[in-house]
Amino acid sequence: MIRKLAIIILFFYVLALLQTSFLVNFGINGMIPNLILISVILINIFEKPEKKYGIFSAFIGGFFLDIFSERFIGFEILILTAIACFIKLILKKYVRVQITKRV
Amino acid sequence: MAQFFKTKTAIILILIICFFLVLNLIGLSKPVKSFFYSLSLPIQKTLWQAGDGVSDFFDSIAHSKYLGEKNKELLSNNQELLSENALLKELKKENEILRQALNLDLQKEFQLILAEIISKDISQDFILISKGSNDGILNDMAVITAEKALCGRIYEVYDNFSKVVLISNPEISFDAKVPKESEDEIYGVIEGKGSLNLYFNLIPQDKEIKQEDIVVTTSLGGIFPKGLLIGKIKEIKKSDVRPFQEAEVQPFFSLKNTEILFIINEY
Repeated sequence: MIRKLAIIILFFYVLALLQTSFLVNFGINGMIPNLILISVILINIFEKPEKKYGIFSAFIGGFFLDIFSERFIGFEILILTAIACFIKLILKKYVRVQITKRV
Repeated sequence: MAQFFKTKTAIILILIICFFLVLNLIGLSKPVKSFFYSLSLPIQKTLWQAGDGVSDFFDSIAHSKYLGEKNKELLSNNQELLSENALLKELKKENEILRQALNLDLQKEFQLILAEIISKDISQDFILISKGSNDGILNDMAVITAEKALCGRIYEVYDNFSKVVLISNPEISFDAKVPKESEDEIYGVIEGKGSLNLYFNLIPQDKEIKQEDIVVTTSLGGIFPKGLLIGKIKEIKKSDVRPFQEAEVQPFFSLKNTEILFIINEY
């Protein structure tokens, strides 16, 4: 479990660095893809609803976004965590057909 | 059991919110951010340079079609500039002699602090630079490129890093002018529109501005030194209904090809 958490932390740290230092050079009209948001959404969609790694990913992803932005710490954490919770809730309550095999 | 878990989750969420509120209110977020910036500095520097190189490579492929034309245009521009430069050198020499004759010491140079760009904020109108309060950086200092094009001003200072708010940030507005030789100068206000876009507003209706006109800073606002390059007029929006004209400005600074910036310490 600790290994998985460490991998998530490292993964999102690398994504945040890529997003703020590498991808900014490839912006189209000043817009760059938010890799962290995309990853958080994908992890939460493809994860089993009872698992909590998606929420943890949202928390860590939001933390790194906050660190490398001008906003106060907690802004992105709350937004991403809310998105993760919302996805989990929708999948748990309203999605009955399992289209993909969740990991 | 389910009720217990719901209550537990709610308590955890409230605790997390309280924790962040306290963290920001007592000013602990600054050292936390500073720690991560110091930790990430070498990686970010490498990534920025790599990204810059790769984007330059793709840009050159994308624009290879126009390179020949561009080269011709630049060569002719270069010739013009060289002759202009020779003329200006002569004028400078003359000016220096006149100054000496009048015993005036009007030539004031900016005191500059060199800094490297480390990262750019995802909201696109903030950048992080590698100098902070330890290097004498203070809030509201002007940040320029090597070509003396205005980039922004210092927004937040850490020990070894500073955040720069770009002039294209929607919260930024300051006085600017279009310098004219023959007629009166045109004064207006530069406003940031986000995503590296700028507008030149509050231009009187009776003044005539043209595309490619250069916009520079004035000393009216007291934020930036006068005469710094801002950008070129790209598109003019004139309407009889409005009391003022508005123009879109193409900023001179480009973060794509910039690694080094200068902070004006004194002017």
